[in-house]
Amino acid sequence: MLLVLMTVSFGFGQTNVVVSEWRVPFLNSLTGSIAAIGEFLQWGANYAADEINAAGGIAGKPVKVVPVDTALDPQKGSVEMARVVKDSLVAMGPVPEPVIMAAMPIAVENQMVSITATTSYEYASQFFPWTVSWFPPTLDRLPPLVVAWAKQFGDMKQVVQFIEPYGPWPGMADAHSKALKSLNIKEQKAIEVPSDAVTFGPLVVRALDQKPDGVILVCNAEKAAKIIKELKSRGWSKMNHILVFSSADDAQLYSTGGMDLNGVQVYNYLNLDISNPRWDKFKVEFAKAHNGNMPFSLSPNYYDALYMIKEAIEKTGVTGDPKKLKEERKKIADYIANVKGFKGLLFDWDMKDGVPTNKPTYIFEIQNGKKQLVQEVR
Amino acid sequence: MPLSLYYYLSIAAVNILMSWALYVPYRVTQLHFITIANMMISGYLAGYLVLHVHVPFVWALLIGFAVGGIIGYVVSLFIGDAPTFAVVIVGFTFIYITRTVVENLSIVGGTMGMFGLPNIGGNPVAHRWIILGILYGLVVLCGFLIHRFDHSSIGRAASAIFVDKELASSLGIDIKKLGMLVQTFSCTLAGGVGVLYGFIYKSFHLDFFGFALIGVYMTVLFVGGYSTQWGPLLAAPILYGVPLFFPPAVQSWRIVIYGVMLILVLVLKPEGFITRKSVYSIGLALSRKRGKVIRS
Repeated sequence: MLLVLMTVSFGFGQTNVVVSEWRVPFLNSLTGSIAAIGEFLQWGANYAADEINAAGGIAGKPVKVVPVDTALDPQKGSVEMARVVKDSLVAMGPVPEPVIMAAMPIAVENQMVSITATTSYEYASQFFPWTVSWFPPTLDRLPPLVVAWAKQFGDMKQVVQFIEPYGPWPGMADAHSKALKSLNIKEQKAIEVPSDAVTFGPLVVRALDQKPDGVILVCNAEKAAKIIKELKSRGWSKMNHILVFSSADDAQLYSTGGMDLNGVQVYNYLNLDISNPRWDKFKVEFAKAHNGNMPFSLSPNYYDALYMIKEAIEKTGVTGDPKKLKEERKKIADYIANVKGFKGLLFDWDMKDGVPTNKPTYIFEIQNGKKQLVQEVR
Repeated sequence: MPLSLYYYLSIAAVNILMSWALYVPYRVTQLHFITIANMMISGYLAGYLVLHVHVPFVWALLIGFAVGGIIGYVVSLFIGDAPTFAVVIVGFTFIYITRTVVENLSIVGGTMGMFGLPNIGGNPVAHRWIILGILYGLVVLCGFLIHRFDHSSIGRAASAIFVDKELASSLGIDIKKLGMLVQTFSCTLAGGVGVLYGFIYKSFHLDFFGFALIGVYMTVLFVGGYSTQWGPLLAAPILYGVPLFFPPAVQSWRIVIYGVMLILVLVLKPEGFITRKSVYSIGLALSRKRGKVIRS
């Protein structure tokens, strides 16, 4: 009986699919100022494709991730998206926000899912149901993290934030403020970090003049590291009273900050300490391909995105038939918006109307360039 | 019309118009980068008016032109006859100031940007045709105006200023007045184009108006040729279009190819591909041909 069922279901998948290969375009910034990030996002997607193909492909057919370079350029991104929507079933990207804003309206107009797995809920939700958010709303997910961080220290009465005005970051700072308010911690006048800042001494002096007990850094990795170095050089000693936000948790933080980061806390979705066979293998292969570095923040996002596409195609019986393009695009959109028990690389999660409902987040403490888990926050 | 062709044509038109917005002041040696700030100001203002005040698009567009022109005129009162680098610095400063203001204005979306601009004409197809119609209408109109300008006594006065300001002054040319005229024209144009630029994407983000745009328009101007209006007209679609047709394997070398092309042009043809001489020669050849046809 089991054999019959297996034969029928296998045969069903085989005969329905009309494509010889699934092609998934990935609109990514492979050149330009964030090419380094684009590279490891692409690596994650390609790695997933290799793994899927080695295990028999999607519904029996191999998958190919087609890199589409948008070069961090909205002009190029829009033309590339216009090409992609012509006949693609589903896509991934774009990356990052300016290209998302220029290109995603094209995907929406043509009713094609393009998974934007690196941006915040506030951007992704503008394009529902033709994308999903990889993160819960900022005002829901960040306050518990900041509360958990601040509650560790009874002496924390006043906190100052350094905020770089880029995309969703001021909104993330607002979410931190909400948490501080809920704990009756006084938030001092925020220090704006200009996008083109090269020296940080004056900014740090202005912050220290307010005599804060804690510091939250909402700026890019390099700037965060330099501010921490400045704080330390001016006598700041309570290093775990510094919290770095997730977007700054990448290679430049560690390469620039070095040993001065010891004790600093950081929050993120990525937990290198989790162990499962897939994630362990991913870490090893990532390190091999990246000079021994462990996966950076966001590294698994497009790995998971491709698996989510695989699951949607297989579970909804999508065939890849160009005549059914509109209908099958809708099937994928409906499926991924409410996928349940999705087996991600690090953990399983559910989606409700395009928003993840139960992804864990973590607070780490940095010691000798490595992150040590302080606590998990759900 | 294929969607990718629409985006290609519309952005090529934006690049032609914005390169002309740089070309016209450069006729009197001024690199007027304030035009990028004008795009931003008028674009965001029109977006706000359409989205939140429900002003019809046509009015928002006209207000965009007007605001660009007013800013250009007021600024030109101070820098109408300023040297090249002073004008460049004013332009950069304006871009910084405008970015900072927009970053801190939550009513236009701040750092997040402005989403969900409506379709003009009620549906996407009409929207695309209207945008293309306006853009290419502007290309024709501005092309005609710039052509008339280049072939008028004012254009010749601009050429004299380009060669030697003091000589031009001694010939009785009012350098400041002419500078004010070209600056106001380019800012007016940039204001309107900024509005259309955002409506192509149906959104606004600060990084749509980044310093990269200066690089794009400068490349178009100097590779195409800064001494005639035809240079930007031909270079904008080619420079924007060629990389789109690179095979994927070559895509990552795009910047290198651009760079090599720029260096080659600067070394081999410093005036750019289309020069006045080449325009004159083509014009002459065409008129001879026309003459032969008439005689026969």
